[in-house]
Amino acid sequence: MTALLALARKEFASLFGSPTAYVTLTMVALVTALIFFDHLRLYNQILFVFASTTIGGINTDEIPDYINLWDSVFFPVMETLGLTLIGAVPLVTMGVFAEERSRGTDELLFTTHLTPTQIVLGKFAVTFLFITLMMVVSFVYPATAISRGGLGLQHLAAVFVGLTLHGIALASIGLACSAFTSSQLVAAVSAWAIAFLLWDFSWMYPFINEQVAAVLDGISLHPRYGSFAEGIVTLNNIVYFLSVSMVSIAVARLSFDLRRVGS
Amino acid sequence: MSSAPSNSPTTDPSTPEPAGVDIRARALTRRFGPHVAVDALTLDISPLTCFGLLGANGAGKTTFIRMVTGFLLPSDGTLTVGGISPADHPDEVNQKLGFVMETSRLYPELRVIGLLNFLAGARGLGRAAARVAIERVIDRFHLEGVAKRLVGNLSKGYQQRVSLAQAFLHDPPLVIVDEPTGGLDPVQRGEVQEILRDLRGERTVVLCTHDLAEARSLTSRVAVLNAGQLVAEGETEAVLGNSDALSLFAMGRSGRTAQESP
Repeated sequence: MTALLALARKEFASLFGSPTAYVTLTMVALVTALIFFDHLRLYNQILFVFASTTIGGINTDEIPDYINLWDSVFFPVMETLGLTLIGAVPLVTMGVFAEERSRGTDELLFTTHLTPTQIVLGKFAVTFLFITLMMVVSFVYPATAISRGGLGLQHLAAVFVGLTLHGIALASIGLACSAFTSSQLVAAVSAWAIAFLLWDFSWMYPFINEQVAAVLDGISLHPRYGSFAEGIVTLNNIVYFLSVSMVSIAVARLSFDLRRVGS
Repeated sequence: MSSAPSNSPTTDPSTPEPAGVDIRARALTRRFGPHVAVDALTLDISPLTCFGLLGANGAGKTTFIRMVTGFLLPSDGTLTVGGISPADHPDEVNQKLGFVMETSRLYPELRVIGLLNFLAGARGLGRAAARVAIERVIDRFHLEGVAKRLVGNLSKGYQQRVSLAQAFLHDPPLVIVDEPTGGLDPVQRGEVQEILRDLRGERTVVLCTHDLAEARSLTSRVAVLNAGQLVAEGETEAVLGNSDALSLFAMGRSGRTAQESP
């Protein structure tokens, strides 16, 4: 346990000792803010048009159902945030294992009392904590939309859990990619490729049969992430995101064994 | 270059003398695809010996060391460190082992004290034990003046001192030193060699180098590898004689050997 805590402290020091953590946090917060205020501006413009064309002020009965805070602001922000995380999270994870390899410090780590499993778990745990911090930073705007929309704490909690699980699943994919290469660029690009592919398979549906489409839909990130955004928390979706993380941890651990026997 | 103190490290008399451990390799082989990096190597390194592992780049020295630390598995043959197989129990072997890597292989973003703290913890030392161990190595390797500086901002000579210091945190009976003076200027090289000289007889030291002068001045026994094969092994004077690196490292199995039983 002492060794694992030492690794966790070092990982935090390394993470916040480089500009990557600050740049990524700022980028995610900035993109979310831009998207939020852009959609809010658009929503206000639509309301203004209705108000200006109605004698005696705005009559909410005349506003079509599809023009509401949810469809005009909240869901587009959530959609963009999901995609922004796909772009941003690999920037955080790309160096976690790859940099150790490229510097040769993985050998130094191996000669400590840390087992490969502890090394993998320590690095995953610190990255997950960082992702949770990133979610707190980026959650301000969806939370504002939820609170102004009057949907309450349960919905707020569901969205936060969904966002965090989505971020952790993306981080897991990124870490698994980082464990197999000494190039941070290769780690980032492969994580982006896998995450974008997993995000949504609906573009393939015209070319594949229904059974395959159902399978792909089952492993797709987007429908599950969207379910949390609607305030629906199901055990099935939680297990899905946790499974992605578990498989990624196992794959990263496997990379150590493959290197020992590797040719 | 930073101004390094010229005096040699001191040995703390209160530190218990660790007994050295032996390394035994029998027909040890490591292949990378069709390439044989270490070829049927049989070698004994006795406890408390300062042993030189010589060879040109690509001779198989680093691959051998990686098998000793358990970082690589042998393709064939057996290897034990203090009677334990690093392939099967790398964690147990690593408790007996301090590993000094080439200069740049540290965490440049950490401060010296932070790096030592991390590696002391990673070697299972509790807070109090870590503090004592860190004070001991800082004193021994004269790092007082740079303890709060970033590793990446240190001169290569000081980085190598930090690398040596971290290997002694858990007071291991076996220290493996890989190319300790590579890339150092003559003054820095002299300082690091002075530190290594003081380790002789204190614990088992395996010095991996292609610098013959370094091997002559620091080791009592050497083995010469060429293309993964052991081409000479014995007492340093007997093996090296007046050879130059070119003739020694080019020596094949059919060439001159100073093979003798330890």
